[in-house]
Amino acid sequence: MRQRAAVAVGGAFVLVSALSACSANTGGEPQVDTGRQATGVIATDPRDSAGPAPEVAGARRGGTFTILRETPISHLDPQRTYSFAGLMTVPLIARTLTTWKDDGEGNLRLVGDLAETPGRDVDDDCKVWEFRVRDGVRFEDGRPVTAREIGYGIARSFDPDLAGGPTYLQEWLVDTPQYDTAWDFQANRTSLPPGLTTPDDRTLRFEFARPRCDLPFAVSLPTTAPLPSDRDTGVDLGNAPFSSGPYKVTRYRAGVEIVMERNEHWDATTDPVRHQYPDRFVWSFGPTPDAAANRVIADNGADQSALSWDYVPASLIARVAGDAGLRARTILSPTPSANHLVINNARVTDLRVRQALNHAIDREGLVKVLGGRHVAVPMTTLMPPATIGHRTYDAYPAGPDGDPDKARELLGGQRPELVLGAADSSLEQQVATQLKGNLERAGFTITIRNIPDDAKLDEIKKSGNPWDLYLGSWAADWPSGASILPVLYDGRTIRAQGNSNHAYFNDPAINAEFDRILTLPPTEQSRQWAELDERIMEEHAPVVPLYVDVAYLVHGAKAGGIFVSSVFGSPALVDAHVKP
Amino acid sequence: MLRFLVKRTLSAVLTLFAVSVLTFLMFFALPRDPVSGMCPRNCNPERLERVRQELGLSDPLVVQYGGYMRGVVAGRELGAAQGGHCDAPCLGWSYVNNEAVTDTLVRVLPVTLSIVVPAAVLWLLLGMGLGLVSALRRGTWVDRVAIGFSLTGASLQLYFVGAVLLLIFVYTLGWLPVPGYTSLLDDPVRWAGGLVLAWLSLALLCSANYARLFRAQLLETLGEDFVRTARAKGLPRSAVYGRHALRAAISPVITVAGLDVGAALGGTVITETTFGIHGLGRTAVDAVRAGDLPTIMATVLAAAVFVVLANMLVDLLYAAVDPRVRLG
Amino acid sequence: MSLSPAAGPVPAAIGSGGTAGPPRDRRGAGHSPGRLAWLRLRADRTALASGAALVLFLLVALAAPLIELTYGIGPRDQFQDRLDGFGLPLGRAGGVSGEHFFGLEPRLGRDIFIRLVYGLRTSLFVALAAAVLTSVIGVVLGTLAGYLGGWLDAVVTWITDLTLALPFLVVALVLPPMLTLRFYGQRDTVPAAFGVGVLIVIFAVFGWTGTARLIRGQVIALREREFVAAARASGAGPWHMLFRELLPNLRAPILVSFSLTVPQFVTGEAALSFIGVGLTEETPSFGRMIYQSLEYLQTDPAFVLFPGVVIFALVLAVNLFGDALRDALDPKSAG
Repeated sequence: MRQRAAVAVGGAFVLVSALSACSANTGGEPQVDTGRQATGVIATDPRDSAGPAPEVAGARRGGTFTILRETPISHLDPQRTYSFAGLMTVPLIARTLTTWKDDGEGNLRLVGDLAETPGRDVDDDCKVWEFRVRDGVRFEDGRPVTAREIGYGIARSFDPDLAGGPTYLQEWLVDTPQYDTAWDFQANRTSLPPGLTTPDDRTLRFEFARPRCDLPFAVSLPTTAPLPSDRDTGVDLGNAPFSSGPYKVTRYRAGVEIVMERNEHWDATTDPVRHQYPDRFVWSFGPTPDAAANRVIADNGADQSALSWDYVPASLIARVAGDAGLRARTILSPTPSANHLVINNARVTDLRVRQALNHAIDREGLVKVLGGRHVAVPMTTLMPPATIGHRTYDAYPAGPDGDPDKARELLGGQRPELVLGAADSSLEQQVATQLKGNLERAGFTITIRNIPDDAKLDEIKKSGNPWDLYLGSWAADWPSGASILPVLYDGRTIRAQGNSNHAYFNDPAINAEFDRILTLPPTEQSRQWAELDERIMEEHAPVVPLYVDVAYLVHGAKAGGIFVSSVFGSPALVDAHVKP
Repeated sequence: MLRFLVKRTLSAVLTLFAVSVLTFLMFFALPRDPVSGMCPRNCNPERLERVRQELGLSDPLVVQYGGYMRGVVAGRELGAAQGGHCDAPCLGWSYVNNEAVTDTLVRVLPVTLSIVVPAAVLWLLLGMGLGLVSALRRGTWVDRVAIGFSLTGASLQLYFVGAVLLLIFVYTLGWLPVPGYTSLLDDPVRWAGGLVLAWLSLALLCSANYARLFRAQLLETLGEDFVRTARAKGLPRSAVYGRHALRAAISPVITVAGLDVGAALGGTVITETTFGIHGLGRTAVDAVRAGDLPTIMATVLAAAVFVVLANMLVDLLYAAVDPRVRLG
Repeated sequence: MSLSPAAGPVPAAIGSGGTAGPPRDRRGAGHSPGRLAWLRLRADRTALASGAALVLFLLVALAAPLIELTYGIGPRDQFQDRLDGFGLPLGRAGGVSGEHFFGLEPRLGRDIFIRLVYGLRTSLFVALAAAVLTSVIGVVLGTLAGYLGGWLDAVVTWITDLTLALPFLVVALVLPPMLTLRFYGQRDTVPAAFGVGVLIVIFAVFGWTGTARLIRGQVIALREREFVAAARASGAGPWHMLFRELLPNLRAPILVSFSLTVPQFVTGEAALSFIGVGLTEETPSFGRMIYQSLEYLQTDPAFVLFPGVVIFALVLAVNLFGDALRDALDPKSAG
C-alpha cells in the first residue's frame, strides 16, 4: 500500500509536466528593437514647458491603479529617494525644477517643471544659473510654491540624517564631496547653502565655483522637490510626504502598502508632463516577481488594472512572449542600464590581458544564461545605446560567441590566473559560471569567489579590493555621457571606499579629456563623449562591455498609459490610467 | 509546583540571555562592515563614520550590549536619524527598513501567527485522525493507506508542493486568491483565503509524524494493564478508548506539537518564501543578508522566546494531562 | 533547527516519557534481538523494496565518476547550442534525447542526468555524514546526562534547550562566508569539500538535540532496571556499565533516530539552497538544482520533474525503510 501511495504521487508529477510539455521546442528567435538611440534636447522655448500635458489617447478619469512589487520602497522623502521605484513614484507627489518629456521611445526633451524653462546660463560659462519659478503651482494645503520652498528642499538635502538621495547639487554648491561638513544644515535651518540664493520669490539662483553645464539635468532629480520649512518632519517625512504633485499619500503602511489619492490643489495647466487620471494609486509590496507576473497574467479582479513593477522573470518569458493574447499587455524596451565585466585595472595592468578578456567573451551564450533577448541585449560600448549621441562600434570584434583563438594569441602563451568576485545570488552565480567557462576556453585560469549579495557593491567600491574581475552595472542619472564616462573612469576621483570608478582606471590624458568636454555646452558634448568612449576602449580596454538590460513588463488588461522611462528604464506612471 | 516554575523560568531567562549574547557576537564576527548598506548609493567615509558613532559601533562590545539591553527594559535615547526617543521595549532602529524595529515586529508577528496557529490545528487534527484510524484498523488496508499517505506527505518538499499548488489552484484554475496576508480583524474571509494554501501544505507535510507517533502510542497504551483492566470490567469499547487510551497516548503528541509550534513560530521561512508572505522568518533572513543588526537581534530573540515558552508550556501541559508525571 | 516545522525535534517523541520496553536481550526464543529484527525486516516487502532503492541510490552516488566516464558528459559541460533564444532547451521534454537522458538545464545548458548523479553524491554524503555526527553527539551527551544525572544532566538539558532556541538560519547564513574568509582569504580557490564540510558541521551542531533527548530518556529508564542494578551491585565499572550494559540496549533507538535524521538533512540541504544559502554553484547538489528549477514550472516542467522526483524518491525510500526498521525493532507497533 505504501508503494501504491507513492505511485499516485508520482502520477501527480507527471500530470503537472503534461500540462505544458507535450510539444517539442523548435526554437524561434524573439525580436527586440535594439538599435534604438536616444535623442535628447533641452527645450529652450518656454512653450515646450507649458502645461497642460497633452491628453493620452483613450485615457479616462477614475479607477484604482495598482502596482505590485516585491521589495518595499523604503520611504518617499524626495530628498532621500534614489531607487528607481522611488524616482518613478516621487513625480506623482512632488514637482522638481525640471523634468523629462519622454515618449518611451528614446525621444527626450528636458522641460521646466517648477521652473518656466530648464534654466538660464547667465554668463554662458555654466557657472551661474537662474530658474524662474512658475506661477500657480500649489502644495496639497493650497499654499503656493515659491523659490523659498524649493531652496529649503535643496538645503535639507545637506542634512546628514537625511542621507540617501543624489548628491550632485550639494557637492557642486560647496565644491567638495564632503558637503555636509562644508555646510551644516542643522545649524543653519533658516538660511540657504552657499551659492544658492532666492533674489525674489520667483527666482532661484545657483552660483558654482566650476562650470556645471549639466545643471539642467541634475535639477530634474527630486533633490529640488519643494517643501515649506514648517512641514519638515525630518526622518518621518518619508512616511508622510507633503505633496506638490497630482497625488498625495493618504495611507502609508511601512513595508506593506502605499495609497495615493488626488491632490485637488494640483493644477493641470501648470504641469507639462503629469496627468491625474486614476482616482488612486496603490503600491502593494510583497509578491515575488514570479507571483506578481502570474497574478497580472491571470487578470482577475483588481489585478486587471495592475502593473507588475518588476520585469517578467526570465523563466516566464517564453510563456509570456509565446502567448499572442498577451502581446497587447506587455511592454518591451531596452533600458539605459549597462552591464560590464569590470576589470580591476589596479591589479590587471597588462593591456594585452584586458584585450584578450574582451575577445574571449561569448555574448550570445551570456544572453541565453540571462534568459534571452527579452532580458538582455549584447553591447560592445562603454555607454549604453540609450545615451544621447551614442555611436555603436566594436573595438575587439569577436563575433557573437567570442573568439578564444584571438584571445590566446594576445596572451602569447601565458596563462593568467584571475579571481572573479561574484555575488552569491543564484543568477550571478550562473553568470559567473558561464564567464569562467568562456575565459578558461581562451586560456585563462579563473577562480570564482563568492561575495554576499547585499555586500558586493560596497566591497567592489573599495579601492584595493582583492578581486581581478567582477560584474558591474551602471544606470546614469541622466542620459548624457557626462553622467557616465567621468563618473566611471576619472582616476582622480579614486578614494578608499565608495568609488564609482569600479575599474580603478586612471589615465592622465583621458582625465584631461573629461575636463575639456565637461565645459562644453551640453548639446556639443554628446558627439565628443561618443568619440571618447571609443578611444578609451581602443587604447585601454578598462572593462568588457557585456549587455544592456531590457525591460519586459506585463500589466492587466485595464491598465493603460504605462511606458518604460527612457531615462531610468523603469515604468513611468505619469500617463497611467485605468481603462473602462 | 512553584519551585518548578521558578526553576524553569530562571533557566529560560538564562537561555534567552545566552542567545542574545551569541547573536551579538556572531554579528560582529561577520566579514562585512555593519554600517555599509545604510546609505545605499552615495556613502562617503565621513558619513559612514557618523553612522558608526550614532550606532555606538566604536564602543566596546560590552557597552553596546548593555545599551541594547537597557533599551529593551527601560527604553533609550537614539539619534535624530533614528527617530529620537525610543520607548521600552526598545529594539533599536533599522536603517534598512527605516523604522523602529518594534514596529517591524508588531507588523510581522501577526503574519507568522496567522500562518502557524491554524496550520498547527490542521496538522494535529489530520495527524491524530490518521493515527487513530490506523490504530483502530491496525493491520488492515485502512492502516496501510493512512500510514502510506502520511509517509508520502513527509517525503514531499514544501516549496515543491507549494509551487505546484500555486500553479494549479491560483494561476491556472483561479479557485483561490493569490496568497498574501490580510489582517484577521480587517477581513476574515480574505485572511483565510490568502493563507489557506500555506495551511494545507504545512498540514500535509507535518501531519505524518503525528500520525505515526499517535498510532504507536495508542497501540502501546491499548496493550497496557489499566486499559486491559478497564475492558475486563466490561466497559464499552468507546469508553475505554476515549477515557483511558486516548488520554494516555496524547501526552507525547502534546510534547512534539508544542516544540514544533514553538519552532515554527520562530519563522516559517520556507513557507513564507514559497507563498510570498513576509513574516518573522523572511524578515530575519533579509535582515541577516542586509547586515541589519537591530532587526536580526529582534527576530532572533522573538524566535527564541517562542521556543523557550513552548518548552515550558509543554512541561506544564504534560503534567496536567498525564497524572503519572510529577513536577520536581 | 527551525527551518521547517517538519524538521523539528521529532525524534524526541519516540519513546519519550521514559517508556522504554523491557530489555530486549531477555526476550525472544533463542534468537538475538538483532537477528529477530533482521528476520522481520526480511519478511517485509516494503522494507525490501525501499532498501533496494537505497542501495541503488548509494551505488549511483559512489560510482558517479564511473558513470560520467561511461556517459561521456561531465557535470560542468555546457551545450548552449541546444538552447533556444530564451535559453530553454530545444526538443521534447526539456531536451531529452539518447545523448541527454534527462535533457538539459535552461540557461547554462548543462546535462541534467549527470548533474543529478553528482548531486545525489553530494546530498547523500552531507546527509549521512551529518546524521553520523549528530548520532555520536546525541548518544554521548544523552547517555552521560541520563546515566550520571545530577548537575551534568541539568547542564546538558540546558544546552539542549539553548540549541533549540539558537537561530539556525542566522548561523547558516553567517558562518560559511566567515569560515571561508578565515581559511582561504579573499583570493584562494575554495575546494568544494570545504563548503560541504561546513554544511555538515552546521547540521551536526543543530541536529543532535532530538537524539540526545531520546537517548537520555531511554538511559534513565534503563538505569532503574534490575539487570543494570545487578551489574552495578556486582561492582561493574562505569565503562563496563556504559558499553556492555547500556549501549547494546540503545541500538534500536539510535538506529531509529538515525533513520529520522537522514531525510531531515537531505531536505535541509535543499531548503537552505531555497533561501539562498548552502552550497555554491560549482558543487552540484539537489538543493540548488531544485531551487533553480522551480521557477521553470510553467516553461520547462521537465526540468522541475527530474530533480523533484529523484529527491522525493530518495526521501520516501529513507522514510519507508526507517519506518519498516522501526517496526522490525519494536514489533509492538508493527502493522
